[in-house]
Amino acid sequence: MNTKLKVSEISKIYPGCIANDKVSLEFGSGKIYALLGENGAGKSTLVKILSGVVKPDEGEVFLNDESIKLNSPLDAKKNNIGMVFQHFNLFETLSVFENLSIDSDKKDKELRVLVNDILKKYNFKIDLDIPVLNLSAGQKQKVEIIRCLIRNPKVLIMDEPTSVLTEQETDDLFISLKQFSKDGILIIYITHKLKEVLSLCDEVAVMRKGKVVSVSNTIDEKIESLANKMVGENLNTIKKKINNFKNSEEILKISNLNFKSDDPYETNLNNLNLSLKKGECLGIAGISGNGQNELFQILSGEIIIEGTSIMFRNKEIGKLNPRERREYLMAFSPEDRISQAAVPELKIYENVALNNFKSSNFFEKGLVNEKKIKEHSKKILSNFSVNTDNVELKSQFLSGGNLQKLIIGRELITSPELLVCFNPTWGLDVGAINYIHETLIQINEQGKSSILISTDNDELLKLSDRICVIYKGKLSKIMNADTVTAEKLGILMGGGSID
Amino acid sequence: MEVQLIKIEKRNDVSRSIYFLTPVLAIFLTLFGGGIIFYILGFNPIEALKFFFITPISDLYGLSELLVKATPLCLIAIGLSFCFKSNNWNIGAEGQLIFGGIVGGGVALLFYNHDGFYVLPIIILSGAIGGMLFAMIPAILKTYFNTNEILVSLMLVYVAKLLLDYLVVGPWSNPEGFNFPETRQFSESARMPILFGGLRIHAGIFITLITVFLSWLILYKTYLGFQIKVSGLSLKTAKYAGYKGKTMIIIVFMISGACAGLAGVGEITGPIGQLHRNISPDYGFTAIIVAFLGRLNPVGIIFASLIVALTYLGAETAQIFLQVPKYTGQVFQGMILFFLLGSDYLLFFKIKFLGLKKNEL
Repeated sequence: MNTKLKVSEISKIYPGCIANDKVSLEFGSGKIYALLGENGAGKSTLVKILSGVVKPDEGEVFLNDESIKLNSPLDAKKNNIGMVFQHFNLFETLSVFENLSIDSDKKDKELRVLVNDILKKYNFKIDLDIPVLNLSAGQKQKVEIIRCLIRNPKVLIMDEPTSVLTEQETDDLFISLKQFSKDGILIIYITHKLKEVLSLCDEVAVMRKGKVVSVSNTIDEKIESLANKMVGENLNTIKKKINNFKNSEEILKISNLNFKSDDPYETNLNNLNLSLKKGECLGIAGISGNGQNELFQILSGEIIIEGTSIMFRNKEIGKLNPRERREYLMAFSPEDRISQAAVPELKIYENVALNNFKSSNFFEKGLVNEKKIKEHSKKILSNFSVNTDNVELKSQFLSGGNLQKLIIGRELITSPELLVCFNPTWGLDVGAINYIHETLIQINEQGKSSILISTDNDELLKLSDRICVIYKGKLSKIMNADTVTAEKLGILMGGGSID
Repeated sequence: MEVQLIKIEKRNDVSRSIYFLTPVLAIFLTLFGGGIIFYILGFNPIEALKFFFITPISDLYGLSELLVKATPLCLIAIGLSFCFKSNNWNIGAEGQLIFGGIVGGGVALLFYNHDGFYVLPIIILSGAIGGMLFAMIPAILKTYFNTNEILVSLMLVYVAKLLLDYLVVGPWSNPEGFNFPETRQFSESARMPILFGGLRIHAGIFITLITVFLSWLILYKTYLGFQIKVSGLSLKTAKYAGYKGKTMIIIVFMISGACAGLAGVGEITGPIGQLHRNISPDYGFTAIIVAFLGRLNPVGIIFASLIVALTYLGAETAQIFLQVPKYTGQVFQGMILFFLLGSDYLLFFKIKFLGLKKNEL
């Protein structure tokens, strides 16, 4: 039987951001569709709408020309729409079969027959009676897929399925997906990896900033053309004046950095090398989850790797923790401003005291010098135009933009030689973004250096002197920003290579 | 079948005054619940509650007894607040109390035929060190071997209890004691000075008050206190700020253990005067309730310790006048905790009814 799925004029607006802007798409069974886009392009919102997790503000979903209401995940299941999320929803200590039977209304006996049929048909090799925690990531994903298959889905949505898989597992997954498609299941495949789109999918819809910017057959596309569509063209309009740093003093040098994590959701870093000159801004691009988090923590000293050398202004700082690194005039603005860079329950001046450096005298002889901290906080609030002068205000009452100004202000008021920031304008409105960008350009002009880890290419192209891309824990060659185009970044971010 | 769908949501901003008033509400609910229990047992609830909560403190002796019981509870709870505020779950204060008692008691026995002003301070100090060292075991195991401090600190309670048992039955038992499981009486110089003749209230209360003041100072006025506060609210932030997480875990356990050890040594040199099997009626466990009832706040903990101490006294009076077992005291302590947790849940979360929905299965 043919399945047709159509979304029509779907809009979803979150405070401060349009996640989906009149999105219309049509899908038909027998094909594999790719939904391609950067972080924040709106693809996750769209599939959450299709799986009933999020309700759209406007627009309709049609299944076989019939309008369907998807108010809850249960509605999606009822309409035979199956979804495999990026992070698995399995009970680790229960067996595979128990995990399947929780979700099913069939009797255990029937279910076992059905599951065994599915295993045989698609050549899955999974022991049904071992606990899920003993499975590899690929096998866990298969369990999730089986869970959908039990319900005879007409539509199967896969959200970034290969992010936790090895290459072999990815190949296996693609074989299975092609088989499902042959069996008449409509497959929607969400990804930002360009190669996967070309090797697996028949049609590709590209989303950018909440809108569908192109729908085409993959046969007609190349990595370059898709990259261009994904990151958008003509972005290089506003750019900082590029300086020549050939003769500047080298301020930071990291060589042969390797990091191996025990946590499967973390990314290992491989043989990372970078150096930074005085007054320079090094941009690090990449789709999130490719090792940026780990790199930031290594730079800030939250992760310390034994035996790795980090030279900062000719001093070895590899073994120092974040507070000690601050004494050497480094400053850090992490990605998670709400629960890491600041504590929402603490007052503004208490959050300022988190950046405690020796000359601040915030804590004299171990005692809190509240007066000093408050004076200092007042200075930050006015110098960085935070929209309040009440240092006793709990920081949870600050808007995102004001909170970020406070954090950047706290980090910069010590005149650090190096600022490392990670997605500093994430989720902010245009006014705040401009303010932060101006501030970051200003510090470079004052001869201070910065490392900007960001998933926003506009921002990177605007602010960086040199740019590299992090992909699966590896850094690309570091390029001069004036030679970099959005297209090149797109290719590197999607795992391709240039020249 | 139709089912009611319920959703539980976190409340955004909880008013500070209500936050400190809910413990009072919990106490009233406990009184109410207690009244019902007495009614079911066949007593007049008002009368019974009067025996429980008013009679015990209606004379000077009663008030002194209240303070005698509140002294160790307050001291232990204040120590625990350091751990709990920084997300370290030390529930082995009972063991640290006993171990402090053992070390302090051992020193007291060593000095049993010495006189001098220096004897008592040495005993008190050794008791505090004993508790501190004992608390460092779960702390070190947690920081270096990633063990769970809840389990380790709890299990060590039984180690301390059995060690005390062995000592008072074996090597330390009183040679003239007809094989009773107890040590010699400590010498006069090893005893806490009594504050008023005829009453049991002793100088240990000053140790408690000084500790409360110092704790307030540390928690609210020092860098250490600030670090404890930040770590309790967000470990991620503490790490980002560069606080030495491991050192801090060990420090809060040391403070907490020292307080419990002080409480233990205060008991054996105060009202008890020797070591025997039951030097503590579970003060170390009850203090957990005190700490939370007092909202981990030094002043709150003083009030909470008085109220919980009253349940100990009330249970004794009720046993005499109503012939109910003294374990009713523990029932009341349990009810306080139950109602406190219950009202806290409603304070921090709201329950939304989403209406009826057909159940498909």
